[in-house]
Amino acid sequence: MILSIYRVSKFAIQNFWRNFWLSLITITMLVLTLLTVNILVVLNFVTDRAIQAVADRVEVSVYFHANASETSVQNAVTYLRSLQQVRDVATISADEALEQFAARHQDDETIMKSLEEIGTNPFGPSLIVKAHEVADFNTVLEALENPQFRDNIREKDFSNYEAIITRIKDTTDRIRTFGIVLSGIFLLIAVLIVFNTVRMGLFIHREEIGIMKLVGASNAFVRAPFLLEMVLLSVVALAVTALLLYPTLAVLEPKFGFYFGGQTVGLINYFEQNGWRLFGLQLAGLVFLTLFSTWLAMRKYLKV
Amino acid sequence: MISFKHVSKIYPPNIVGVEAVNLHIGPGEFVSIVGQSGTGKSTLAKLLFAEERPTRGTIEIGGWDITHIRHHEIPLLRRQMGVVFQDFKLLPRKTVYENVSFALQVAGSAPRRIREVVPVVLGIVNLHDMFDRYPHQLSGGEQQRVAIARSLVHQPKVLVADEPTGNLDALNAREILDLLKKINEFGTTVVLVTHDRDLVNRVRRRVITLEGGKIVSDVEEGRYKL
Repeated sequence: MILSIYRVSKFAIQNFWRNFWLSLITITMLVLTLLTVNILVVLNFVTDRAIQAVADRVEVSVYFHANASETSVQNAVTYLRSLQQVRDVATISADEALEQFAARHQDDETIMKSLEEIGTNPFGPSLIVKAHEVADFNTVLEALENPQFRDNIREKDFSNYEAIITRIKDTTDRIRTFGIVLSGIFLLIAVLIVFNTVRMGLFIHREEIGIMKLVGASNAFVRAPFLLEMVLLSVVALAVTALLLYPTLAVLEPKFGFYFGGQTVGLINYFEQNGWRLFGLQLAGLVFLTLFSTWLAMRKYLKV
Repeated sequence: MISFKHVSKIYPPNIVGVEAVNLHIGPGEFVSIVGQSGTGKSTLAKLLFAEERPTRGTIEIGGWDITHIRHHEIPLLRRQMGVVFQDFKLLPRKTVYENVSFALQVAGSAPRRIREVVPVVLGIVNLHDMFDRYPHQLSGGEQQRVAIARSLVHQPKVLVADEPTGNLDALNAREILDLLKKINEFGTTVVLVTHDRDLVNRVRRRVITLEGGKIVSDVEEGRYKL
């Protein structure tokens, strides 16, 4: 058994080298297919991160009047925290607001002079409310209409990112659909190329196959090198894809970081953590595909 | 050893390969099957090594009914049978040694056995000093001897030689015939399919003559009469 596996492997490797250009074309096509699939994976990941990043920034700033009582502000905080939709409520006291304002405009003489002229703290306390989901902000905004503290609120500042998120989703959905269609096309071409590679292989080795059959090689022994050769091509294609993908991600990651406020997107980390699963699934899919294509070609062209 | 009972092979739409053939070849016999082109000689050979299946009748080899032999059983049959063709069927990119050992490799033989058997059979066909040569570096007669060596590695009980001298000159043809006779002397049944008159007349063994797919004569120590 081991001997047969060794010999079948030897024949498969011989086939690979003897039809080097054919093997190269097949590998190129398989690599293109895998790259498209991985671009989709990257796109999916970056989109999720982008949506998450935008969602994280969504907040409602609630500014109270300068004369609003601390009890009133505290009531609002307690009430908001009791809501399921609210993730976090941060309080900024009037003094902190003044400090932050002064720090922000310390280089602006006019503003600083104006502040001195007023003489008192013109700022009231404020709250920064974060919700779990963007859609939850409607509830938060409604909650702020509670008569208990509504009159103490001077202003509510809600930057609505929902439109941005919808736009991100729409754009990525379109790109994803295009990617899936492109993957499908590459997949189909890959199947046809594998089919043709096997057909050519059978034609090139027809003499050898004939002799193998003549001297008593089993059908499995005749077929196995072709199947194994395609597994080999799939493995090489996956290795090439991984080799191309990692440096590309390393170059792209800082560029993505620019759009995420300098923070790392975690692409490489994602691939390092999920690489075995991702590439394992891709290899399994690819092997299944190439074996299916090989089986079709052998069924049509190899009479054993 | 080999038994054909009422064997016919009809190719579509209605072309007769062989018709109602009855014959029995005993163990260790040397039988020449002769006839003009298109008389069914090669069809008979193909039926022997299950390249073709009979339309009617039964074929037995060594007590094994191969009439309806299954696909996966064909390799087993061929490992018990040597086959030699007019066009040698050697692999051009393999050496003499590799061509012969190839037959054992694909049948799953251990490397040790290959190392033992191949030099012996190459010695029998008198090619012990040409292990590393490629087919294109050999004469026609030498190439046919490689093919015979390859057919012998399984130590077959039957050797079917389909026009083995068809591509050879008279001298080489005689050498191949002598080799086949030598193999027969070792106990292997030899079925020689040929239309070479000189060859058949030199053998002076059993001759079966085919005409129109039918056996028209079957003579011990016969001669080519057509």
